[in-house]
Amino acid sequence: MALYRTLLSRAALATFLVHATPLYAETVFRLDASAPGEADPDKGIDYIGSVLAFNLYDALVVPGQNGTPVAPHIATGWKIDGNDYVFTLRPDIKFHSGHVMTADDVVFSFKRLMALGKGNSPLFADRVASVTAVDPQTVKFTLTGPYAPFLGALVRLPVLDSIFLLAHKADGKFGDMGDYGEAYLSGHDAGSGAYMLVSHVPESETNLAKFDGYFLGVPSSAPDKVRIRYGLQPATVRELVASGQQDMTSQWLPPEVMRALAGRSDTHLLADRGSNILFLHMNTQKPPLDDLNCRLALTYAFDYATAIKLAQVTDKVSAASPASGPIGRSEFGFNASLPLFGQDIGKAKDYLAKCKYKTPDEREIDITWITEVPAEEKIALLMKANFDQLGFQTTIKGAPWTLYTQQVTKVDSTPSLSEVYIDAPTPDPDSILYNMYSSKSPPTWESASHLVDPEADKLLDAGRAETDIAKRKAIYEQLDARLDAVAPAIFASEVSGVFVGLNTFRLPPFEDDSKRFSAEEYGLQFRLVEMLK
Amino acid sequence: MSPLVRTLIHRLAASLVVLAGVSMLMFVVARVIPGDPARIALGPNATEAQVEALRRERHLDQPIPVQYWEYVREVARGNLGNSLYSNRPVRQDIAQYLPATLELIFAAAAMIVLIGIPVGVLSARYRRRLGDHLGRVGSIVGVSTPAFVWGVILQLVFAYFWRLFPIEGRLAASLPPPPPITGFFVIDSVLAGDGKTLIDSLHHLALPALALAMAGIGQTARLTRASMVETYRKPFIEMAHAYGFREARISNRYAFRPALVPVLTILGLDIAALLGNAFLVESVFGWPGLSRYGVEVILHKDLDAIVGTVLIIAAAFLVANIAVDLLVAVVNPRIRFAGGRA
Repeated sequence: MALYRTLLSRAALATFLVHATPLYAETVFRLDASAPGEADPDKGIDYIGSVLAFNLYDALVVPGQNGTPVAPHIATGWKIDGNDYVFTLRPDIKFHSGHVMTADDVVFSFKRLMALGKGNSPLFADRVASVTAVDPQTVKFTLTGPYAPFLGALVRLPVLDSIFLLAHKADGKFGDMGDYGEAYLSGHDAGSGAYMLVSHVPESETNLAKFDGYFLGVPSSAPDKVRIRYGLQPATVRELVASGQQDMTSQWLPPEVMRALAGRSDTHLLADRGSNILFLHMNTQKPPLDDLNCRLALTYAFDYATAIKLAQVTDKVSAASPASGPIGRSEFGFNASLPLFGQDIGKAKDYLAKCKYKTPDEREIDITWITEVPAEEKIALLMKANFDQLGFQTTIKGAPWTLYTQQVTKVDSTPSLSEVYIDAPTPDPDSILYNMYSSKSPPTWESASHLVDPEADKLLDAGRAETDIAKRKAIYEQLDARLDAVAPAIFASEVSGVFVGLNTFRLPPFEDDSKRFSAEEYGLQFRLVEMLK
Repeated sequence: MSPLVRTLIHRLAASLVVLAGVSMLMFVVARVIPGDPARIALGPNATEAQVEALRRERHLDQPIPVQYWEYVREVARGNLGNSLYSNRPVRQDIAQYLPATLELIFAAAAMIVLIGIPVGVLSARYRRRLGDHLGRVGSIVGVSTPAFVWGVILQLVFAYFWRLFPIEGRLAASLPPPPPITGFFVIDSVLAGDGKTLIDSLHHLALPALALAMAGIGQTARLTRASMVETYRKPFIEMAHAYGFREARISNRYAFRPALVPVLTILGLDIAALLGNAFLVESVFGWPGLSRYGVEVILHKDLDAIVGTVLIIAAAFLVANIAVDLLVAVVNPRIRFAGGRA
């Protein structure tokens, strides 16, 4: 009897507690991605690595919206005096540890990034002579020379909690700094972002939780927790989304899976329209594409409409859209007056007639596509069909990324045509175009066209030196047009990352053009996710 | 020294030679495949100076024999190097992922033994009857269908359509992992006395383990049946029948044990082969194991991690084989007393 009484009283208590608990359900935003390796923001340069950095950390400036390259963030403002950039910091920013952010943290973060020499450090390499904390709210960068893209590059300088991180440093090769907290940050965070890192298991999953002390506040509609899974197979992702166990897919799903999920009534499509362009680089130093007329013939022979259809996700949505040059429409410096590229066989034949290479033997070209990106093979086959029809003799070869990056650093081993998707790491067009088209830049994987054009060089240098926003915009608009004229590449299409999401949430930066940011990845801020239930 | 101990020592010595050979081979192969590991680790935008600095730091600027000597010295100290990809000691990465794979493999091995052998015994005992025919068809389907296809089928039917099992993962997101002692969630939750986590981890383990085990179950069932049928033709079984022993006694006591020797030998190879198949199953079920890690590090040309992972898998393969050899010797006295040479 006593036992029954106990059970009854406990049942009654449990019933009371259940009813007394507020009707608050924790919201979890679940998505998948390709694995980032580490959670250290000074190392991650891939998509999800950048997304983690943007959510866990803050930078002096952030990508802007509606054509603005950068906007104030931690820095309320800045002054540029020659090579000196002086930033004033907000006084109310707290790290996840509770420490208040100061200029010392900015100095520490910059020094750490450069000392590790990984991730986004190349954006600043040899550009900064010194960085000093003038006072707790003021930090000064002195550059080694005129370098206007510096401001855009700061988007990729996450500010770390120096006191907290140094308390977690291990022995290492950086003298007093030990390992600069490298081992710790691999799986933890030391940021001030809207979300905190709860756990990070490379290859498996990352869990984040809302940071209530975020200086901009986190809307109540934003998810309380975020769970990112890595390395899931498309079939598994499809089942998870279809059964309501995952909210958003990655952008890397095969088109047929994307199409199947997009066709469901409980899903919608989202697009990250950054600065990604499909470049079909032409080797301008090797016959027959060292002749501008031959390059222009190929430019007009390429079937852009079919290339866009190949990226079709649904009848209405494609991951690709027409391009008008090397600068995407949401990027700073985009020249709106340039016509969109389209196939024009008549013009192609006219240019081919002017090309100095006349015989079939002289018109042999090899096309290389990256084997890790199966979609590129379809584009390679399309090119072959288009260019063979025009009178070229084309061969197609697939190359693994690692091999390709070695091949293209030398003119002779660079293929006549190579396909690469490239997006700018910062909201500044210099971050992509200088390495790609300046003859002063050492050859890298980006410069497979090996362009030598004094006019383009002049504009690229002018863009680096000019700090006035309006004048810089004009320079890059001219450069956009100039690169169309000298055709170092076929600018096949602008490419968006397309995701499928359940109708359980909205993400305005991926759905509303007026709310998109000037840099890819920045739109996937979990504090901007609106959970609907 | 008993013949069995002598055999064990020989096997262990031979295993060390095999491991040294595997490490040498992998070390060279990992370095000659196209791509600069320092460049891959630092990303395409790294400056040449940064790439060169990392090459120096990791001795990649040295000739391969010098690099290998450095590596062997580190391995002798118990250090498998550092992963360029995860920036953690390879030993730590392997310690994190290996238990998940081993748990999956042990569960699959248990299913192979507990399902495959009884099905084979029953098929032999009731040969040429309906049960035997069904067992044969089932075995052939099991063997001829790849593990990843089983994974997708089981996932679709039991997890997606019928919602009886979770689609992926090792544990429900709402449950914290048990305190790590062995790294096996099932064992650790038992040790922690956490029934809820135990049930959930078994629930998550069931489908991937079954997908991985299907081929082994089929093969073991067929082999057990064939071996038992062969044994049934022996004179001592005929004599047992003549004495009027019960069928169950003949089957379980006299026919089963001699038939077990070839089954155990193949079982050892099957279980070792599970390591290779585990990758596909781990991918389908989002199982955070070593096989997935292995593929990721190969794609990133993460030299130390590649060699470390292959070494561990090779060691597991060798251990499984030695264990089976010992088991066979225990079961078969002729092998035991001949020192493994019967």
